[in-house]
Amino acid sequence: MNAPAFTDNVQLLNGNHAVAWGVRLAAPDVAPLYPITPQTPILEKLIEFQSQNTFDAELLTPESEHSAMAAAIAASATGARVFTATSSQGLLLMHELLHFAAGARTPIVMFNVNRTPASPWGFWPDQIDSLSQRDTGWIQFYCENPQDSLDTVIQAFRIAETVNLPVMVNHDAFYVSHSVEPVSLPSAETVKDFLPRQPRQIQLGDGSGRSLGAPIDQASWNLTRREMDAGMSLVEDLTAEVGRSWATLTRRTSAPLEQYQTDDAEIVFVTMGSMTGTARIAVDTLRERGVAAGLIKVRLFRPLPAAALRAALMDVPCALVLDRNYSPGTGGVLHQELKSALFGMAGAPRLYGLLTGVGGVNVPAETLEKLAADYSDAAPDNNPIWVE
Amino acid sequence: MLEIIILGRGGQGAQTAGNQLAKALFAKGNYVQTFSTYGGARRGTPVTSSLRADSQPIRQRCNITSATAMLCFDDSLLDEAFLKLGAEDALVVVNSARSAASLPSLGNRRIIPVDGKAIARRNNMGKVVNSALLGAFVAKLDTPDIDTMCAIIEDTAPAKKQENVTACREAWGLNATSSEVLA
Repeated sequence: MNAPAFTDNVQLLNGNHAVAWGVRLAAPDVAPLYPITPQTPILEKLIEFQSQNTFDAELLTPESEHSAMAAAIAASATGARVFTATSSQGLLLMHELLHFAAGARTPIVMFNVNRTPASPWGFWPDQIDSLSQRDTGWIQFYCENPQDSLDTVIQAFRIAETVNLPVMVNHDAFYVSHSVEPVSLPSAETVKDFLPRQPRQIQLGDGSGRSLGAPIDQASWNLTRREMDAGMSLVEDLTAEVGRSWATLTRRTSAPLEQYQTDDAEIVFVTMGSMTGTARIAVDTLRERGVAAGLIKVRLFRPLPAAALRAALMDVPCALVLDRNYSPGTGGVLHQELKSALFGMAGAPRLYGLLTGVGGVNVPAETLEKLAADYSDAAPDNNPIWVE
Repeated sequence: MLEIIILGRGGQGAQTAGNQLAKALFAKGNYVQTFSTYGGARRGTPVTSSLRADSQPIRQRCNITSATAMLCFDDSLLDEAFLKLGAEDALVVVNSARSAASLPSLGNRRIIPVDGKAIARRNNMGKVVNSALLGAFVAKLDTPDIDTMCAIIEDTAPAKKQENVTACREAWGLNATSSEVLA
């Protein structure tokens, strides 16, 4: 876990304000934003920074999230560094343009606060809003705590601008977005050096009279997806490299996957986002009781680090996937992805898909400890399992 | 680890109190985590602020279900469901003019009424009770010290800084000398 040291420049910030600080330091040129609970504190903090002359991006406040994403694509296509943020309904309203942004190879960085989508109306932490966008061509990260969110949003600009693909960074509503904690702020110089302005192939506004996204024939469209595939294939190694580079500056690690106590583990939790922190406690408690428990945190979800997951789970007898999301008709999305990644692997674990925390219900460490006891010797079960 | 739940109605300042207490505990060198949950974000609906403090980084991301101490801004919210979120011997400070004996209780939880409204009124704070309640709460909790608490209130109160500080100090002083109804 990348907890800040008290010797660093530590401030008490909630997760959303930590994101706003990261964005301020990354210094985007344009930031189209539309408010929505529980994202709004990101927007509010950026506007406050602008009023203090510490953030000089062009802030646009259009009439909807759809328009915000349209503005983000257009600005990014001119070569501008672009940030936006949203949550739940707002992200879903953007859906059409998420495909457009990725297809247009615009390296936009967007922060999404994971919240239950309607109906019924709710404001609770649940990752189905962003997981249901997994096929749009955006790189996706899931953050555990405010420090992780700040570190990741900064790294996201470097990743996006290297592969020309948009990046969506996510954290859970309330447990991270509104959780006030010590957060270490890097200096402006550190981030400026970390995020050099990369020369980009500007697609609009360079006077050459070209158009972007005009109708093309089948083979050319096919080629765009092959090129995106090539870009996506670079992302896992790039994420690892960017994380190592960040670690040399901050002493905080950020990897595509984080493994905790997995070396000799016989039962491993696999999860994303805020539940990771609680799972760490469960692992420690189980170890004290003599159970060889471990944990894998999936920080980079898209592209899924499939080879690394296979290596991490090879010869582990049992793995429990903890999904704070539910895809009706299949179950947990991470469970589905894990089944796919481990398919046909010799020495694959018995894999259980546990629907924990769907709709934001509370998941204390004791619940996870009980799951480890219940499933360590259970019969295989390929179906999703609802956890009380 | 210290685990605290503050319960109030939207607009009463429970979330502000949680943030101020977190800042004071952080200023004393603790790792802290405080988060709020609220339903429709409407004035008057129940708002919960949760706070953890420890000498080590705080890892868990779940609700507090066995609080060390609780602060309740409104005795109409003091019910069994709320009290059950506290540990068996939890400290429960309640904004109320009633006696401890006439308030709901559960197990060995220590119910401490504080007449926050009277203290607020005496300090020209009208109905704004959060600084008075914080003063009483930190006195009973025995951490952080009153000077640190008041410094944070002075730094963060949006208006009437001096009145907030004197209300906090008065409640702290009263609480240090009496375990009965304060003020």
